[in-house]
Amino acid sequence: MTNLWPELKPMARRRFMSLSLQGAVALAVSPAVVKNLLAGEDQSQLEISPGLLQKTIASALKRGGDLAEVYVENRISRSIILEEGQFKSAVFGLIRGAGVRVIDGDKTGYAYSDELTEEKLQRAAEVASFIASSGKITQPVNIKEQRRPSYVTVKIPLEEAAEAKRMEIMKRAEEAALSYDSRIKMASIDYYDETRDRIIANSEGLLLKSSLPLIFFIVQTLAAGNNTSHLGRERLSRHAGLEMFEQDTPEKAAKEAARESIAMLEAKEAPAGKMDVVIQNGWGGVLVHEAVGHPLEADNIAKQTGAFVGKLGQKVAADIFTMVDDGSLAGFRGTTDFDDEGTQMKRNVLIERGVVVKFMTDILSARQLKMERTGNGRRENFRYYPIPRMTNTFIEQGKDRPEDIIASTKSGLYVQSLSGGSVDPTTGMFNFTCREAYLIENGRKTAAVKGATLIGSCLDIITRIDAIGNDLAFGPGICGKGQSAEVTAGQPTVRIRGITVGGTRARG
Amino acid sequence: MDYKALAQQVIKDCLKKGAEQAEVYLEDNRQLSLEVRNGQVESVQEAQSYGLGIRVIAGKRLGFAFVNDFKPESLKKSIDRAVEFARAVSPDENNQLPAEPALTEVKAIYDPDLSTISIDRKIALIQEAEKLALNIPGVTKSAGASYGESESQIIIANSFNWVKSFKSTGCGYGLGVIAEKGQQKSAGYESTNRRFFADLKPAKDLARVAAGKAVEMLDPKPLKTQRAAVILHPDVAYAILGGFIQAINGQSVLQGASFLGKRAGQKIGSELITIIDDGTREKGLASAPFDGEGVPTQNRIIVENGVLKGFLYNTYAGRRAGVKSTGNASRGGFADLPGIGPHNIYLAAGQTRPEEIIQNTSRGVLVKEVTGYGINPVNGNFTGGAAGFFIENGKISFPVKGITIAGTSDEIFNGIDLIGNDLDLNRSLTAPTLRIKSLQIGGE
Repeated sequence: MTNLWPELKPMARRRFMSLSLQGAVALAVSPAVVKNLLAGEDQSQLEISPGLLQKTIASALKRGGDLAEVYVENRISRSIILEEGQFKSAVFGLIRGAGVRVIDGDKTGYAYSDELTEEKLQRAAEVASFIASSGKITQPVNIKEQRRPSYVTVKIPLEEAAEAKRMEIMKRAEEAALSYDSRIKMASIDYYDETRDRIIANSEGLLLKSSLPLIFFIVQTLAAGNNTSHLGRERLSRHAGLEMFEQDTPEKAAKEAARESIAMLEAKEAPAGKMDVVIQNGWGGVLVHEAVGHPLEADNIAKQTGAFVGKLGQKVAADIFTMVDDGSLAGFRGTTDFDDEGTQMKRNVLIERGVVVKFMTDILSARQLKMERTGNGRRENFRYYPIPRMTNTFIEQGKDRPEDIIASTKSGLYVQSLSGGSVDPTTGMFNFTCREAYLIENGRKTAAVKGATLIGSCLDIITRIDAIGNDLAFGPGICGKGQSAEVTAGQPTVRIRGITVGGTRARG
Repeated sequence: MDYKALAQQVIKDCLKKGAEQAEVYLEDNRQLSLEVRNGQVESVQEAQSYGLGIRVIAGKRLGFAFVNDFKPESLKKSIDRAVEFARAVSPDENNQLPAEPALTEVKAIYDPDLSTISIDRKIALIQEAEKLALNIPGVTKSAGASYGESESQIIIANSFNWVKSFKSTGCGYGLGVIAEKGQQKSAGYESTNRRFFADLKPAKDLARVAAGKAVEMLDPKPLKTQRAAVILHPDVAYAILGGFIQAINGQSVLQGASFLGKRAGQKIGSELITIIDDGTREKGLASAPFDGEGVPTQNRIIVENGVLKGFLYNTYAGRRAGVKSTGNASRGGFADLPGIGPHNIYLAAGQTRPEEIIQNTSRGVLVKEVTGYGINPVNGNFTGGAAGFFIENGKISFPVKGITIAGTSDEIFNGIDLIGNDLDLNRSLTAPTLRIKSLQIGGE
């Protein structure tokens, strides 16, 4: 909604999704090839002298300004696609660059370079300083390297693992998916991993370095029935080494995708109209991520346009509703050691027992609103300047047993998983598409229904949450706001009374 | 830097390393983006960047690497990885690079003046649009105005000994405004995008449309769940064409993941429907002399009078289907392998004025905003959130928000019974006003 130019393409967008049909060709990776693929030499050495960083910061502040920052990034990535029984492609990526930012009052100047040379960084500093006009002179503090706690531990480093190991994991997922049911006609496995190194330095004297691994694993399965088909999906993602798959096994992910594909084959048309909706624990938290989380990002507040402007300290939901953003949950997809401006990650309670208590800030919005820095300044890569973004966002654990929530709902819709959705943060209007949903009839989950949409407005929806389960769980995803960010969304089972559902058939 | 020589050197090195075929896709891009709010500059961003993607085929296997560091050691590492990765994956006889050296002639996709127009003038343009919109009665706040431009050069070379390149520009600006009344808040957005700066719509037009969209949606009334006619405004063309372009993707068709897969040559909707994909249109936002792997672009009829004529293919999917590439290899950027996508795709204009379509509708909804994913390309089901106006007895009655519309692709395509004459070809995915006889609407 905030993207005014969908027709101008950003460069270097990563793509994860693709579809496929079943094939039957088995893979053989010869041992000789495997040996060549030991990838130890891909370990990045992102080096830049503190002197050059200091000099760039000084140049960026020459025309004045409140803050100058240099962000240096190196990203080594691999992605492999297995579909129709074949490893279709393997992709290696090596991207590095630096961005220079100047903040002067409410203004931001930004420029970036693919080259980490003094000449290019000086040029970027000059372009970024273009906006400085306040005449305010800031003397940069000498940078000094600091250490921060890390929330990411690695047992099997990505750069030490052979490609064959990754391919074996993919193959295991494929086999588990295809053997789940004969109606599964296709399994498509997307594997992606990266190591992102960052160096952040600013005129407050900050100098931080970190190296973060990330794995993203997507299983899609296509089930075909009589004149109908359904594409199921399951995603795994953590900041971790390959040991991630010991806990979140590829078989488990594949079976979950296959189960959804089969369950939805029998789905009937979804009803339309207002009804009670129960949303299962886990990735369903994306509903509050969109509907409540985005409007709680402080850029909307600083600009005086957001749905929660003037709501700090006010009661907006029932006592049972507490919402948290926490970028320090060990190894989670939305976790980092520190955000992309160098602010320490921590647990931030946003809505406590129904009362708005905090907004998620970056450095700029924290300055504008005179609020604390919450560690939510994030960017997709060095080609973007940071903006307030969520990390791992969830509804806090409640007391109700999930089975009691269903049993006490006379009729309505049970949403097992959501595809995703969007919100206009100004008006708070949101929409969601259900991946997997069932009717609730007389307190029991009954027939599967397809094609249901949920819509509403954020301030209205949180007043309608009247039951929260004791089964908090999370799911990984991608959040877009002009630039993309890795997030998790979480929640226990929740019930929302009276939400508009869009379906293809009249209710009755 | 001599990019053509660099691309050819990389190809040579790939072949030396053992690849049988190699391709370099190189992109050099300058971008500028500006934002203002309440008359003040909020951000200025400008940068030049580049990168290249290396696609190699070795033993019918496909490897790919991308890199934005053109120092010899980084290029060497990327070439080595691309070739090694190719050896690790499965062989596929359809892996093949295009051999054809031809280009399609496309006029006016590069504005040589764009970069010479001062940043101050571009800032002044969006400041003016914002100011004009804030002066319109009912508008209470600005949600910001922004300008963006890009100038890029694409070079593709492959081991069939050809090098192709073209330069293109794109520029655009837009704004958002808010209208408030009591506790109500309504937002309106409008934007314009062109190849040439001089062709952008004037600030006063954008201001009027954005303000109109915000103000007209105040005081909405609830709507009962019902079946009724649905009129789609040109702004929501994506609701129809978004899922459609995925369903005519030749790769999805081959994989059985398209609801149109088995319907080539058949009637898929009303005779009023003609859909064209044109990669050659003068000044077209998605026009280019060649596609994402260097195959010449075309002007093709996809649906003619309701009959599905064909699908979109790149070289790989075309070989697999036993047809030639249709020049529809898409490329997200240098970091992406070629996919499949349309160029300028549009549903052809009809005869009816949009006002007449409303006048001829006894009960229905004029939809001006749709949220959600549009038509599901796998099964053809459509469901989405919507906002617009309720129509009674041929007249706009009141605004409606927070409703849903849903139906199947058959209901939608067969149900189109009136098509407007208001097609705007300056957009790259576009349709005129359309009426669908009857769809399920969800409300109270």
